[in-house]
Amino acid sequence: MCDIYLVDDDQDVLDSLSWMLDGLGLKTQSFLNAASFLSAVDINHPGIAILDIQMPGMDGIALLHHIKAAASPMSVIMLTGHGTITMAVQAIQQGAIDFLEKPVDGDKLSMLLAQAKEVSLQSHEDLRLQSEIEQRIASLTPREHEVMLKVLEGKLNKVIAAELNIAQRTIELHRQKVMQKMQVSNAAELAYLMAKSEE
Amino acid sequence: MKRILLLTSLLSCYSYAYGNEPVRIGVLSFASPDTVYQRWAPTFDRVAADTGHTFSVLPLTPGELQESVANDKLDFIIGNALTTVTFKKDYGVSNLLSLVPNYHSDPDHAVGSSLITRSSLNIDDIGQLSTMSVVSSDPNAFGGFQILAGELASHSINPFKDFKKLTFVGFPQDKLLNLLLDKEADVAILPSCVLESAIEKGIVPESALKVVLQKEEPNFECAVSSSLYPSYAFSKLGHTDHVLATRVVKSLLTITNKDKEAIYGRYQYWSAPVNDREVFRLLRTLNRWPFVTNWEFLLKGAVPWVIGALILLLLGYLHHLRVKRLVVLRTRALSSEMEQHKQTQKELFEQQKQFYKAQRVLLTGEMASGIAHELNQPLAGIRYLTQGCLYRLTPEQGELNSALNKAIEQVDRAQSTIKRFRQFCQQPSVYEQCDLKSLIEETLNLMAPEFKRMHLSPKLSLERVTTIADISLIQQVLVNLIRNALDAMESEPVPQLGIQLLVEDKQAVIIIEDSGIGLSEEALNRLFFPFETSKEKGLGLGMVICKRIVEEHGGQIHAVNLIKGLKITVSLPIKEQQDV
Repeated sequence: MCDIYLVDDDQDVLDSLSWMLDGLGLKTQSFLNAASFLSAVDINHPGIAILDIQMPGMDGIALLHHIKAAASPMSVIMLTGHGTITMAVQAIQQGAIDFLEKPVDGDKLSMLLAQAKEVSLQSHEDLRLQSEIEQRIASLTPREHEVMLKVLEGKLNKVIAAELNIAQRTIELHRQKVMQKMQVSNAAELAYLMAKSEE
Repeated sequence: MKRILLLTSLLSCYSYAYGNEPVRIGVLSFASPDTVYQRWAPTFDRVAADTGHTFSVLPLTPGELQESVANDKLDFIIGNALTTVTFKKDYGVSNLLSLVPNYHSDPDHAVGSSLITRSSLNIDDIGQLSTMSVVSSDPNAFGGFQILAGELASHSINPFKDFKKLTFVGFPQDKLLNLLLDKEADVAILPSCVLESAIEKGIVPESALKVVLQKEEPNFECAVSSSLYPSYAFSKLGHTDHVLATRVVKSLLTITNKDKEAIYGRYQYWSAPVNDREVFRLLRTLNRWPFVTNWEFLLKGAVPWVIGALILLLLGYLHHLRVKRLVVLRTRALSSEMEQHKQTQKELFEQQKQFYKAQRVLLTGEMASGIAHELNQPLAGIRYLTQGCLYRLTPEQGELNSALNKAIEQVDRAQSTIKRFRQFCQQPSVYEQCDLKSLIEETLNLMAPEFKRMHLSPKLSLERVTTIADISLIQQVLVNLIRNALDAMESEPVPQLGIQLLVEDKQAVIIIEDSGIGLSEEALNRLFFPFETSKEKGLGLGMVICKRIVEEHGGQIHAVNLIKGLKITVSLPIKEQQDV
């Protein structure tokens, strides 16, 4: 459900870390560089990436930037041989869950992984919901969208009818259609949904 | 000298320039002035009576006469042929009349010189004189000495040098004859007719003395040892009025040998000027001899030259002073330049020292960092594997549990040692205002010897950009990048290096392009990794240091292969003082 990806240019370190996590019952996939990671993994799925910073080609910070720029639900943990404060700040600002120094303690990492998993899933769920709401909105006709915006403003049917200069009955039909398409039962639920999608 | 002024009765019927002023007659005199005055006074009394002018007769020594002529203090002069010719040449005196003395009727041949000796002595050759004691009256006397000196000169004899003994005893001339008789001298040089006149007067016994080296002069009454020359001449000075001169001459020409004036003056009459060519020749002969050189005249003639020479010398000296001053100034300028140069060199040396110190520190730090990284990786592996073992332990394997935990502790201990070591080696950065343009120029200056060695001058295009940075660290970056570029072009026949500094997007961008061998794709990927080097003796830390420094400044560094060579771009954010 939530894969763990290790990216490090040192095969031995990669193997040993993978073996340790395996001892904790966590399955991992290893990559020697950013390019092979990106070509093998769909970053739109939830997952956890543990990235080394110093790597040939695209380095860890750049990969983090790439992942975050693609609006991926993936959680990223930076794991570096020698980090500087500047690097750490940069990583956190770019959206890394944490910035760790090698070697990281297995227990600490497993706790962090659990947390990262939740974040990733949540983030994935949010993204999914978001896109669903967007799909629902997209299914509205322009008139229905217009009516929905008026409804969200808290206006009564007759006010909307007057403003749009159409029959109140027609407004009622549009309103019914909106509720149906947005999969809500009343205006309050609709407002909640829209607010959530705008987070 | 006693001046005698003769005032005669005058009838002032003519009025011209002279008015009551007496007309001045200068007479050359060697003997006592009284004698000379008495000789000529009657003559000019007569002239005064004839012309109605006052005349003053001034007996003057040769020196005085010349001085008076030179300063136009006289109107007329009476002098011997040589004096007259000399003045004619030097002062434009014009000869008016020649004197025809007693005894001689030919004014052209009226005076000569006689060498008189005792009858007992025999002199056949003029050369014999050099072994004898010779006396004469005055070196400037015409008949007495100068005529004979001319004769001697034509025999290449210089009487002053070549005569054993030459004495000038002065006047009267009879004194010399007595010296001969008293055997105090062997030979006397005297004008012609002095001996004859003395014998006539009975001063000297008739056959006691004789004239030697006689010349045959058929129409001459006395015995002479030289050629004959004209006698006294009457001349006017250049300024003297010609009307006056004509009157004086007219008056003088009326005197005959019967007149008392002629008898007092010991002459027969005045004649028209004689041919003075012979006299000129004598003068030339004498002038070639230093013993008659007219020093005073020469001196006067030389004065302008001497003054000129002095002025030249002075100018030369001034020029010398000026040159000396210029030399001093130039020397001072040069030494200050040298001092400055020395100072510059010292500064450069200091800069280099600072640079290498910073490089050493950086290298040490980077090496520590690199070693730490290299050790860290296996340690991390060990720790992961150990912890992996721990996770796989079954409850029965409790013994292993503590051992593995201890292994982890050991790893952690090693880890913390490495970490401390790294922190120790890291140098804190010093951020300050940094003018990148002058920093680049300074760096090129620092590396000038290397550019010179490669016969390379970089193409620069530098904007003025200022930011906040650690100057010595940025310089490390520049030196590393430029040196890499130079190394890459080591075997290039025509190396080219371009350095640009520009502002782009609030970033100071430094671009260094070389025309060297470039990098392989793989080497380019691992360019910023420690201990990766293509150089035989390289440590592989230069680019790592560069990257670390640039990133520490919040900047970026990239390398791209060009068609030929490598292009490195360093961008640094432009910060103001308050941003830090």
